Amino acid sequence: MFRRVLVANRGEIAIRIIRTCRELGIESVAVYSDADAGAAHVAAADRAIRIGPAAPGESYLKADAIIDAARQSGAEAVHPGYGFLSENAAFAAACADATLVFIGPPADAISRMGSKIEARRLMSGAGVPVVPGEAPKDQTTAALLAAAERVGFPMLVKPSSGGGGIGMREVYKREDAEAAFDAARRDAEGAFGNGTLYVERLVRRPRHVEIQIFADDRDEVVSLFERECSLQRRHQKVIEESPSPAMTPELRQAMSEAAVAAARACGYTNAGTVEFLLDESGEGTRFYFLEMNTRLQVEHPVTEQVLGLDLVRAQLMVAAGQGLPWRQDQLRQRGHAIECRVYAEDPASGFLPQSGPLWLYREPAGPGVRVDSGFREGDTIAVHYDPLIAKLIVSAESRTTALHRLERCLREFPILGIRTNVPFLLALVRHPDVRAGRLDTGLIDREIERLVAESTPADPVPPAVAAAASLADTNRRSPTASPIGDDPWTTLGGWRN
Amino acid sequence: MAPKPVRMAVDGKEITAAPAGDGCWTLTSDAGIERVWAVGTSERSWVFHDGRVYVLENRASRRGSRGHSISNTLTAPMPATVRTVLVKVGDEVAEGETLVVLEAMKMELPLRAPKAGRVAEIRCAPGELVQPGVTLVELS
Repeated sequence: MFRRVLVANRGEIAIRIIRTCRELGIESVAVYSDADAGAAHVAAADRAIRIGPAAPGESYLKADAIIDAARQSGAEAVHPGYGFLSENAAFAAACADATLVFIGPPADAISRMGSKIEARRLMSGAGVPVVPGEAPKDQTTAALLAAAERVGFPMLVKPSSGGGGIGMREVYKREDAEAAFDAARRDAEGAFGNGTLYVERLVRRPRHVEIQIFADDRDEVVSLFERECSLQRRHQKVIEESPSPAMTPELRQAMSEAAVAAARACGYTNAGTVEFLLDESGEGTRFYFLEMNTRLQVEHPVTEQVLGLDLVRAQLMVAAGQGLPWRQDQLRQRGHAIECRVYAEDPASGFLPQSGPLWLYREPAGPGVRVDSGFREGDTIAVHYDPLIAKLIVSAESRTTALHRLERCLREFPILGIRTNVPFLLALVRHPDVRAGRLDTGLIDREIERLVAESTPADPVPPAVAAAASLADTNRRSPTASPIGDDPWTTLGGWRN
Repeated sequence: MAPKPVRMAVDGKEITAAPAGDGCWTLTSDAGIERVWAVGTSERSWVFHDGRVYVLENRASRRGSRGHSISNTLTAPMPATVRTVLVKVGDEVAEGETLVVLEAMKMELPLRAPKAGRVAEIRCAPGELVQPGVTLVELS
């Protein structure tokens, strides 16, 4: 096993990786930008190295600065976490050149899965179902139109490069297709410098269900089963759970086999996720390959809680050449786990990211409750990075008990000094379709007005809130003093939102 | 010595507030027992109550801010980096015209002229980190 590992990330994922390193007796090295000198992940690590100014491009995304830090610290391996350099094939290759072990898949597996058209071709060849569609070599409007007619309407136009829904367009009628091609091409050229398009059949109200796989360098590939991530806001996952309410043993088996075939087809090692769309329209349920994420996912704790294992430990073992710690027949799902992402964002003002101080930050606790957090009370959320504060993961014996537990935890997760999406998450967890497990990727966007309305403060302000506000003023400095002292019957009022 | 509970009246209702740890209070009234968390400064209080967050401005600071004109200035709404300044001193601008683009947490935030006028002063430069409330552009 490695003696020292550099963690090339920040926030909750850096801390989560450092914790497993400590359990394995591995020394952890954190890296930090100037904005993060006092950050929680720096305090959590055994040592820490400054890599540059606050801007991500000059620090966490700067491959040579990170490789220098790894060399300087004597680390033998680099864990990239998620985001930043985690799916950058050039960085994985640069680590290898510097004789550092990149804790993730080989560089060529990352680049193969990075192009959507290439990944699609590879998956079709491996017998993994893909959404019926075409990626015409001839990219003229006439050729695209002919491809669209073969695929059928409604259809989706997508750029080959990039992600995040940029350039994607739904087309319901043939006469709207030409305009959609022009607009998608413009968007794709502007955003990714590559206007190559492909067309595929539009799956209406799909679920997003993904399979966690794990491969080692001894030709073992296992499926760690599914996570359902249908609750998304503009392609950004908000709540993830496992098992999926839509799953049957037969479907799980078929999807697991497809995901393992996908991993084998691209020569994969380490942890990866194969994302699928689930189509429940018409008879039976069909699944289609969406893309492969060649890294540890944000939502990996859901799998850890349901299977009772540590994915980061397995990542370190596989990267160190020790092989997978489990065989397929030892892996079992037990009970239900749900994760929600707590963001510094204000649902009432269009989910605008927020920055500022965490004056008060108290995590919920209790049986089946896990909080992976990147911050402590008194810390400041900086403007430069992703506004994820923490992930709240609950597990319980059934989906219903897990939902009750999640609701209880959200009602006991006070974060003050900065706006967060906690009230929005609570409204989402209480939504009847979420309760019933009737999920699809458009649910949040369709129900957004109702959800935001339910997460705004009650009007008029409840008496308990007015009372607490009056107690708050000097509370931080001196818990015994209150602005009205011990003088009873002081009449309060005049508070406003 | 444990702090004593505080008795108070809100909108004619009696409430007893017992401290339940740093920033946390247990409130007892006719409505039952409720747990709230609260912090504050002299300007505003933040309260967490049953999964919802309330930001309440107190009367003193509200009085202070009344009558303050903001229509001639463009201020930063949140801590952010100035990405581009689209105008220079002396430019005539229309109401709603984008004057400055800020960037915060990977998002662009265009700031628009609150009214038509002439740019009197520019108090920020691209790349600069600005704090909320700081004046970026002054119009005349």
